[in-house]
Amino acid sequence: MTSVGPTGTTGTAPREAALRCEGITKAFQGVHAVNGAGFAVPRGLVTALIGPNGAGKTTLVNILSGSMTCDRGQELIGSTDVTNWPSHRIARMGLMRTFQLSRELGGLTVLENLLVAARDQAGEALWNIFLRPGLVRRQERDNIERALDLLETYGLYRLRDSRASDLSGGQKKLLEISRAVMASPSILLLDEPMAGVNPALIERIGGYILDLKRNGVTVLMIEHNLNVVEKICDHVIVLAEGRTLAEGRLSDLRQNEQVVRAYLGEVIDAGTVR
Amino acid sequence: MVLLAFASVEGGQGQGMQLFWLSVGFGLVTASVLAISAVGLSLQFGITNYINFAYGDFMALGAYFSYALNNELLHLDIWVATVIGSLGMGALAVLLNHFVLAPFARRFHKTFYVLIVTFGLSLVLLNLEYSIWGADVRFFNMSLDRAHHFGPVLLTTSQIIVMGIAVVTMLAVHTLLKVTRLGKSMRAMSDNTSLAMTSGIDTKRITTITWFISGSLAGLSGSVLGITEGNLTPAAGELFLFVIFASVIVGGVGSIYGAMAGALLIGLATEVSAAYINPAYKLDIAFVILIVTLLVRPSGLFARPGRA
Repeated sequence: MTSVGPTGTTGTAPREAALRCEGITKAFQGVHAVNGAGFAVPRGLVTALIGPNGAGKTTLVNILSGSMTCDRGQELIGSTDVTNWPSHRIARMGLMRTFQLSRELGGLTVLENLLVAARDQAGEALWNIFLRPGLVRRQERDNIERALDLLETYGLYRLRDSRASDLSGGQKKLLEISRAVMASPSILLLDEPMAGVNPALIERIGGYILDLKRNGVTVLMIEHNLNVVEKICDHVIVLAEGRTLAEGRLSDLRQNEQVVRAYLGEVIDAGTVR
Repeated sequence: MVLLAFASVEGGQGQGMQLFWLSVGFGLVTASVLAISAVGLSLQFGITNYINFAYGDFMALGAYFSYALNNELLHLDIWVATVIGSLGMGALAVLLNHFVLAPFARRFHKTFYVLIVTFGLSLVLLNLEYSIWGADVRFFNMSLDRAHHFGPVLLTTSQIIVMGIAVVTMLAVHTLLKVTRLGKSMRAMSDNTSLAMTSGIDTKRITTITWFISGSLAGLSGSVLGITEGNLTPAAGELFLFVIFASVIVGGVGSIYGAMAGALLIGLATEVSAAYINPAYKLDIAFVILIVTLLVRPSGLFARPGRA
């Protein structure tokens, strides 16, 4: 099993990699969006993926979650090679994701949005509906109970019967995260979970992420808000021009000239970090 | 629509009322057939996002399967033959999607190309029916119908069964979509396929199951159409297809409940109008309703974001 952690720049103790990628490359009409990116995400920690716009962060998350295939490279969940698996199979391996612009199943209710994410359900098979109705009903009842608990936790309980399309932007962010959590993921990829969110909600979402970490979920999140990264992330990976530039603790990376030149200087100039 | 049923008016309220109740009875039977077929078409459209112009031929082929089981091969009871024939059509729809439509849909992202393929498939299936069963009118082997009074309306046993089948089918589809995990997955996929996939839904499997259900409903509606019409021809499904389109569009494309409501509206309107004007204009009436609906409410009567 691969161990990741202190490679000179980080103080994190060596940990088993929950997710690992090597030499991931993706080009669009000859232009490389991701160009040989590789890193390991330590199990049970919150890792930030940062980098300037156009660094390939979202493309990489799309590839890791199976929403997009890569041209070259390898992706491992634990020790299983899941390179270019379709996203539903990757989700069933325990890797769930959210999107930069919240996506919801707008025609379904808030509760139904969570129910469809539950894994390994007998009711997914047509014959089970007729041949094992007891099992299907029992699982559905358990799922509803669990979904309602999650909605309570994420403050969406009173909206459980509303159409997801009717939610506000912030509520949709919470719905997305709770839908991902409903699948009992071992790895969660969050694409800018704090983008376009008010400070109070940023605080809440940060708390939810730390709760997930306490429950053993490995989190990889794209984030531009370095205050958030500093507060909740244990490990930081810097991506620039489609490659992994550096990794480690944010405090260490602040001293890294390459990182400051490629990204942090730009962010500090823009006033994102105080 | 030439129906086996007839109606009578008790109490002698005059010929106008007799005609009205007669046409209401016909309308409910037509609406029943339409509802089954429109829901099947809507389910498939919701998942694949293209209209299947071969759907009318799926109906006819399903009816011929039932006919063959009833009258040519096993001499099964008409209703048993209808169930088996419909499921057979469901299985064939899965194969046709897997080997013909899906490869085109994967290769050509523009819906237009797949539409052309469904047109081609329609012609192939139509000619297949002609080559096997010929152009002659065929008849199901069924016992003589008894008439039953329902207030002023008289319906035959087979018409009542057809209406019962429609009600049970609508309830089953409603339960499938609203209660079962499979139905929720179908609705999720209809809403946003890529998000459904990242939520762990196996969209290929859902597509296969949807084609099976849609094909079975096509076969069922084709069979009950043949039973209510009293005869069977290869072109029957194609002629009926335009009325199905009208029902689906009036209800709101992709909306299952819209398709049910559209079927009721179109079925009743076409049959009641046929009592007062030349029945040859029934199709025109359906399209007048369609045009008026599109002018007043372009997305259809029951369309909402997310469908179903």
